Amino acid sequence: MQPAGHIRRTLAVLAVSAATLSACAPMVVSTPATLTAAAAPRDIEIRGHTTIALPTGYSRRLEAGGRWREMGRLPEGAVFRPLDSVFSIEGRQAHEAWLVIDGTRLVGFYLPGEHRYSTLDPAIQLNLGGL
Amino acid sequence: MKRTLLKLVAAAAVTAVLSGCATGVKYQDMASTIPAIQADQGRVYFFRSSSMVGAAIQPEIRLDDKVVGKSEPGGFFFVDAAAGNHVAAVSTETEKTLSFTLAAGETKYVRSSPSFGVLAGRIVLDLETPEKAKAELPSLAYTGAPAKTQASAK
Repeated sequence: MQPAGHIRRTLAVLAVSAATLSACAPMVVSTPATLTAAAAPRDIEIRGHTTIALPTGYSRRLEAGGRWREMGRLPEGAVFRPLDSVFSIEGRQAHEAWLVIDGTRLVGFYLPGEHRYSTLDPAIQLNLGGL
Repeated sequence: MKRTLLKLVAAAAVTAVLSGCATGVKYQDMASTIPAIQADQGRVYFFRSSSMVGAAIQPEIRLDDKVVGKSEPGGFFFVDAAAGNHVAAVSTETEKTLSFTLAAGETKYVRSSPSFGVLAGRIVLDLETPEKAKAELPSLAYTGAPAKTQASAK
């Protein structure tokens, strides 16, 4: 195969993959959730860059130095919203999302605009610091 | 033949430029007259970068099923809404939505941008950080309804 043909084929595959990903991405799976307000909200800092591979095929990145404030609790863990940024998860649709952390593991996301919870499987170990 | 093709390409480019970019008052020229947010409401800025990519795709943007504006390259507008949960949506070949919560007095920024589709391009919505949005807004043109600015509200 000629190099130009190889490049064209690669580009075509990439284009189709991108189109397929955005068009046929699965819905974010979530269940109803009731957030219990935090009695003593605390702030945390994420100390290392963390890339999250979402079950939908998309990925998200947590920046090092990002500060998050505890907003409450779910049975799965404590819920934190970003203090100086925004965060969302994406499947077929996009959803504002807050982190659900059990100890130091990111176990899922609370979708505040829908009062729902979406599990992250497998959970991800975070490098956290208290502020 | 080649010359004709070049003319067609040039005409297409000019058409794309003319039809693609939002016109209106720049944010930097109206920022000081934008009214304060009412106590029980939040504000949502919808904006789209100025780019020729996907410029012909300019769908309406809905907030909670009500049309509030259009996604136009180089344009922005804002909507005040009650504190609570909201869903923004655009429909092209498929519907793309963004759910979010809005606190009283809070301002959120929603970026619309073109994306690949199967048969045609589409517009997707996502939250943007205030820092990045504020850096981009000054160069964008207001495409919303005639603004009830501080000056006109008096």
